[in-house]
Amino acid sequence: MTQPSIILSDVNARQSVFHRRAFLLGGGIAVGVAALAGRLGYLQLVENARYDKLSTSNQFNFRLVPPPRGTITDRNGAILATNRPNFRLLYARQKEQDPEAMISTLAAYVPMDDARRQRILRDLGNAPRNTPVAIMEDISWEQFSAVNIRATELPGVTADMGEVRVYPHGGAFAHVIGYVAKVNKEDITGTGPNAEPIMLHPGFRIGRQGLEKALDLELRGRPGAQKVEVDARGRQVRLAPGGDIPATPGKEVQLSLDMDLQLRGLELFGEESGAAVLMDCRNGDLLAMVSAPSFDANRFVRGLSTAEYRALAEYDHKPLFNKALTATYPPGSTFKTLVAVAALEHGIDPEMTIGCPGHWYFGRRRWRCDGVHGPTNMHDAIASSCDTYFYTISLRLGPDKIADVARRFGLGQAYDIGIPGQKKGLVPDTEYKRRNFPRDPRWHPGETPSLGIGQGYTLVNALQQCVSAARMANGRKALTPRLIRAIGGVPLPDGAAAPDMDFDPAHLALVREAMGSVTTRGTAARTGQIGLGDIRMAGKTGTAQGYNYNGGRGIHGTNGPWHLRDHAWFVGFAPHDTPRYAIAVLVEHGGFGAQAAAPRARDLMRLALLKDPELRSRIERPPAPPVSVADSGAGGQGGPA
Amino acid sequence: MSLAGLTLRAERGRLIDKITQIDGVFCLALILIAVAGALMMFSIAGSSWEPWAANHITRFGVAFVLMVALAVIDLRVWAAIAYPLYAVSLILLVAVELVGDVRLGAQRWLDLGPLGSFQPSEIMKLGLVLALGRFYHGLSADRARMSWWLLIPAAMILAPTLLVAHQPDLGTAMLLALTGLTVVILAGLSWKIIFAGLGLSLAALPPFILFVLHDYQRQRILTFMNPESDPSGTGYHILQSKIALGSGGLLGKGYGLGSQSQLNFLPEKQTDFIFATLAEEFGFIGCAAILMLYLAVIFMSLRTASLAHSHFGRLTTAGVTSTFALYVLINGAMVMGMAPVVGVPMPLLSYGGSVMLTVMIGFGLVQSVRVHRYTEVTASKSSLI
Repeated sequence: MTQPSIILSDVNARQSVFHRRAFLLGGGIAVGVAALAGRLGYLQLVENARYDKLSTSNQFNFRLVPPPRGTITDRNGAILATNRPNFRLLYARQKEQDPEAMISTLAAYVPMDDARRQRILRDLGNAPRNTPVAIMEDISWEQFSAVNIRATELPGVTADMGEVRVYPHGGAFAHVIGYVAKVNKEDITGTGPNAEPIMLHPGFRIGRQGLEKALDLELRGRPGAQKVEVDARGRQVRLAPGGDIPATPGKEVQLSLDMDLQLRGLELFGEESGAAVLMDCRNGDLLAMVSAPSFDANRFVRGLSTAEYRALAEYDHKPLFNKALTATYPPGSTFKTLVAVAALEHGIDPEMTIGCPGHWYFGRRRWRCDGVHGPTNMHDAIASSCDTYFYTISLRLGPDKIADVARRFGLGQAYDIGIPGQKKGLVPDTEYKRRNFPRDPRWHPGETPSLGIGQGYTLVNALQQCVSAARMANGRKALTPRLIRAIGGVPLPDGAAAPDMDFDPAHLALVREAMGSVTTRGTAARTGQIGLGDIRMAGKTGTAQGYNYNGGRGIHGTNGPWHLRDHAWFVGFAPHDTPRYAIAVLVEHGGFGAQAAAPRARDLMRLALLKDPELRSRIERPPAPPVSVADSGAGGQGGPA
Repeated sequence: MSLAGLTLRAERGRLIDKITQIDGVFCLALILIAVAGALMMFSIAGSSWEPWAANHITRFGVAFVLMVALAVIDLRVWAAIAYPLYAVSLILLVAVELVGDVRLGAQRWLDLGPLGSFQPSEIMKLGLVLALGRFYHGLSADRARMSWWLLIPAAMILAPTLLVAHQPDLGTAMLLALTGLTVVILAGLSWKIIFAGLGLSLAALPPFILFVLHDYQRQRILTFMNPESDPSGTGYHILQSKIALGSGGLLGKGYGLGSQSQLNFLPEKQTDFIFATLAEEFGFIGCAAILMLYLAVIFMSLRTASLAHSHFGRLTTAGVTSTFALYVLINGAMVMGMAPVVGVPMPLLSYGGSVMLTVMIGFGLVQSVRVHRYTEVTASKSSLI
């Protein structure tokens, strides 16, 4: 490097080379910058429209807004299920964020126990990133504002206002209406209405039970959309003016039920377990369909803790079970009315008497009767529920004739009332025996007497019993029950358009007559009086041995352990002379029908009659002298034999 | 050119005279660019001086004063510290290799305790230019054209380039290599070697990409080739930047109204992608104005280089200018989706102290060359002050 001097020409050579090349460098840079400018011009001027669109689609998002779920009302418009506003806390898992730490931070604002935290973490794990998950529903205004103020310190956390389903009457309608709940992974399908993105919205609820489930799509409505400006993380920055698409609310559903009757029905059961169904026997409208005990559907909406759910599920009175539809029981003596119709249809003289010594012998067995009734005709046999009479005539009729009549009265079938989960029950006949007992396919005559008094294989549910009573009361039509009156203002066809049953009306009148005597001088004489002027209730009691039928030798009445006791039934209609309402009451393990079921049926029927404006004048008429009451009451339809 | 013209004015040595020799238009262009950067930072912070705009202005002010201070330093001092600075930079680069901090997956930073941390590769940008200028200053045209002497600058370039590439900081390595090459070419390298080297490096490119690059670097290049293939991953940056640019149109969306940058769709919006922010809010007109300012700075620098009487001054000024130009071109190409995403900021416009300091120190040298354009720098050490 020791070059002390560089000769002048060499210096000039270096300089001129530098100048030439620096010129080239400058030119190269200028070309480079020009290329940038050209590219810029292409992007900004030529492709501007395309990128503008992309930028707008970045900037604005349409946020789905869950539609208000349709309300459910009773026949008079009283609200049974509606929505109320609630504040809730949402959290969307962010990139590079520890959800557990965030939950702990949030616990400072809204109290959370460990179980709840676990559940939230599980929910967060299931949800895709950036999809908000509800941390807490129904937070207070103070909590709401506390979180809202600190929103910037809590990325991913939002507090917003949504709607929550509410059932103002708690338990009374829980079995009919069911409830809504959070959407599960299993609810989301690949196609169809359950594939829609609204399913992922934290405020969205899906019908889980009862009508909420059956009419979910009708009640759901169509989600709206809200135009919002979002940042790169998908967080809402502000609402964008205009461009919102309003949500379409779900359809309103009107039920045929009457709120007062339903509430009273549940009340009547108290601690007891059972079901009550009351329907209009002119058009099939169900006015009450109660299953007791019940549960508060609102708790299911909020999300039940495991302990709460276990308590409900393990209680032996089975509150989660709809006993009006899903549980079947032997009909007991209420079945005798149908056996009587079968007998009349097959030419048995109603005046024929059968002597009842209090027992009956058949096939080396002694069959018990509840009392010593002496010579008994059909009317008295129904009124006093004489087993001997029905043992005898059912044996004479055989199972198939009885089963045919029972089916025509509506037993052994499910009705399209809009809720799933009905049990068909069973009306046995020789065909049934042949098909289901391959080792012993023959119907033995010894099986018929049990059938005749509503025991044996026969199984019915409370709705079927009420339908059967309604058809008996109607006398002509094979009424079908109606639970849903209208969906979105469009009425559904009622049960009056049903075909005829094709029974001799005189035969049914005769049985109704006898049922009238049940509450005046028969089994329910003390418990079946409704005391509304000259209006009386006709009916039939039943005491069904559900646990193990052994020809009347089991534990009777209210003795013994609860789960071994008999089921109490009462089916009936009122007013006895011009029937309007039919009723069926079941008290599970309630003991005697006359003691447990008849008074409850009476009270519920009483309210139904009191509420009927057309009966008002009859009820308010001053009571006639006792003699004429008895005459007009029984005489209207031919008088007791 | 008279003798008086050659010596007198430069030898006056009075501070105030020297300062008046600094190019005012040049300074104005720098200030305009820096202010434009601060304006954009103010906008994307939601009309706030915090956290970037105020800082940026302050840093620029400090760096500007430093530039002026450096401009009055005699060119011979620059020449004297050329080799030591290069040596120190090289030692620091080795040090960073051994004890450096790993940040964002790359070992680039050297912790200086209370003084903070810095990247030795930034000093090397200046050190390399100075050392090469100093080397060629003492080399004849013939030797600079084609001779075994060329192995020395080749080693001077290769050593820091490989060290920086190993950190890995491909962007800076490329910058160092290209700057060094520019100086070598300007010093008079034979066209034969230039074209041969060009052909050779083109041939070596595919194996280099396949076998030498890190996975993420390869991914960036692949993404650059086809950004739509991965819109949420590595292609996201390029795509969002193009959207920001394209949606700006001719006049822009208006100051403070760029949705891409305001809503964080644009990554690194205050640093590497600030040009896209500007493009979105001020459109083609704004971008063209900024590019013109950059071009003006570059041409004024090159003019200074050609005015210098000393070969050292010429080469170092051209070296610094080419570094600056490379910053602008690489960042511009990256933002516009014409180059892979490498961490090269837009000088003076982007937020970040390190690069601003490097650039302004470089311009301090450029202005020193301008102020001392008639000063003769002798090749021997003994002639130093």
